[in-house]
Amino acid sequence: MALNLNYVARETGQNLIRNPTLTVASVITVAIALTLAGVALLVGEGVDKLAGKFRDDVQIIIFVSPDATDEQVSAIEASLEENPEVADFSYVDRDAAFAEAQELFEDQPTMADLLRPEDVPTSFRVKPVNPDIDSVLALRSIFQRHPGVQEVTSAAEAIRAIQELSQKLSYGVYFAAAVSSVTAVLLIYNTIRTAMFARRREIEVMKLVGATNWFIRVPFIIEGMAQALLGGLLAIALLLGLNQVLFRSLARNEFFELFRQFDFANSTVVLQSIPLVLVGMVIGAIGSGFAVGRFLDV
Amino acid sequence: MIRLENVTKVYKGDVVALRDGSFEINKGEFVFLVGPSGSGKSTLFRLMNREERPQAGRIFVAGKDIGELSSWKIPYLRRNIGSVYQDYKLLLNKSVYENVAFALEVIGRPRHVIKTQVPAILELVGLAKKQRNYPNELSGGEQQRVSIARAFVNRPLILLADEPTGNLDPATSVGIMRLLDRINRTGTTVVMATHDRSIVDTMRRRVIELDRGTIIRDQARGVYE
Repeated sequence: MALNLNYVARETGQNLIRNPTLTVASVITVAIALTLAGVALLVGEGVDKLAGKFRDDVQIIIFVSPDATDEQVSAIEASLEENPEVADFSYVDRDAAFAEAQELFEDQPTMADLLRPEDVPTSFRVKPVNPDIDSVLALRSIFQRHPGVQEVTSAAEAIRAIQELSQKLSYGVYFAAAVSSVTAVLLIYNTIRTAMFARRREIEVMKLVGATNWFIRVPFIIEGMAQALLGGLLAIALLLGLNQVLFRSLARNEFFELFRQFDFANSTVVLQSIPLVLVGMVIGAIGSGFAVGRFLDV
Repeated sequence: MIRLENVTKVYKGDVVALRDGSFEINKGEFVFLVGPSGSGKSTLFRLMNREERPQAGRIFVAGKDIGELSSWKIPYLRRNIGSVYQDYKLLLNKSVYENVAFALEVIGRPRHVIKTQVPAILELVGLAKKQRNYPNELSGGEQQRVSIARAFVNRPLILLADEPTGNLDPATSVGIMRLLDRINRTGTTVVMATHDRSIVDTMRRRVIELDRGTIIRDQARGVYE
């Protein structure tokens, strides 16, 4: 079937203009759905970067108890060397630990004065092979039980908490995006039905003179996809705006150091949105496909 | 060209629109379908271009059993059948030229074909000077000519006309009949449903009469009753 591009473009354009209110409603709904999905993706990416940053400098600190014997310290060192999960470690002896503590309490001279080298615990700084939470926790529990160990700490809980929080947040946003996607499909469905109803005489004549169903369908399906495309472009604009007023200002706010990773480049936002626009066009095609299919049954 | 074999069509509620109907119409024939309203004339047309399917019997158009046609081929069947209706079915937002061109456009005819065919057919139906007018600016007879032009512009094998003069005065009707006769002379098979006694009696063509879904008369060179 030779589809005349000129014809399709003209018909689609006329349809879009004929029903301005419904068209605008569909476009906005698509835009909102895609914006929500985009926000979810950006938050997810921000959290990933955040967690990645934590992960890069994950270290486990094994504090040696003050009354540990030299034998116990060497035993800890030996098992660190044996353990295949340990990538690297260093021992912070009393002098180094004391210097560190002095630095830490620089602003509080009284504290710094009161501090004596004996009070500062020595420690092993351990870098794990595998920075993921489970193996870090496994390592921790091994050394926790080691004689001569006072305490083992790591940032694992913090990472896990952030990841869980962001997951919940993303689920929430994705849910909202899914709901508005369904709304968008229904609205596009309705818009196309209305457009087809308005043109039922033309469609009747087209069928009468032997136009194929695809010929009748295509302009309407393209109309649905055009609405979705407009919605998608609007969503990109909204996401760029949100990036500017929300994420970036949050990221640059000194108060929320945690959000520093939420500073997205505009190009990242646009790149992330392209698949969203494609998804949107699929939404449009589905909505209009349904509408057209039920109308044309011979 | 058209053959019905024992065709029965029953609508919901046991309304029999056509009972065991059989006839054959040859290429180039001109046939009147007569009978009171509700006798099944329009149903017959809808069966022939497969807007509807019979419960029993077979219908052949141009040698093909149209009951066996898969739905995507129906448009191609309809390209061989021009249809004209009592209410013209013109698109009011399109000019005369556009109405006729639309029929070619939507079956994918190239533009240069449209540009030559449409003025030619409008010349044939006598509306060359009204190409740019809109249907509302035309008389009933002129509107029917546009609809005939649209039905015939693709040179179909068969023209089905369902009471084409039903809304027209006698003088205008004569003009429409001359046009249909002319189209018939080009070799197109014409089947026309009508209530117009004087037209049938003047033309003296084959007459098939229906009464409550039954074919009660099939007469060559017949009259209205």
